[in-house]
Amino acid sequence: MEAETIHALLEQAFPDAAELDVEDRTGTGDHFQVTVASAAFEGLSLLDQHRQVNAALAAPLGDGSIHELRIRTRTKGIA
Amino acid sequence: MSTLKHQIAEVIEKEPVALFMKGTPEMVMCGNSYRALNALTAVGAPVTTVDILPDPRIRQELSEISGWPTIPQVFVKGELIGGADITEELLASGDLQRKVDEALGLERAQDVKVVALAVDS
Repeated sequence: MEAETIHALLEQAFPDAAELDVEDRTGTGDHFQVTVASAAFEGLSLLDQHRQVNAALAAPLGDGSIHELRIRTRTKGIA
Repeated sequence: MSTLKHQIAEVIEKEPVALFMKGTPEMVMCGNSYRALNALTAVGAPVTTVDILPDPRIRQELSEISGWPTIPQVFVKGELIGGADITEELLASGDLQRKVDEALGLERAQDVKVVALAVDS
């Protein structure tokens, strides 16, 4: 799976994201590090922020095309 | 014998800290499971581990209960904390220490143990 495909799915889910980054950690198209900074995370626990990212990637997570997913979320504007 | 789902739910409810992982503490089969285990032992948490690898149904049933798609999964007193990334972030911020101290008290056991689920063949 291409990093661009993951990126597109995240863009759909977080259209207002201030930062959206997908890194193929191993170059094998199945280990990804994603970073999402969005105002949509404001007031949400880390758990719920990650839940939203997992939900956006539910299809590739479910069919096994993402073998490993590392998630970093940030509230917009906060480093 | 109780169903797999029931066994999983029981571990989550009854164990102070439950870690569903790939492999065992002696033979960790995944870097993320290793990260979660290390974060938990770093704050002196007792950890009850369940290896999800013996049967794919374990992971399936677990994710149905937790609504969390990936492994590892960390629970403190029945509450889902998250996966390796969240557990490490909470370790770095000091929140993991606070959470474990509050939930389990300061005078707690710190042993790491393994629970094997009975899986129908």
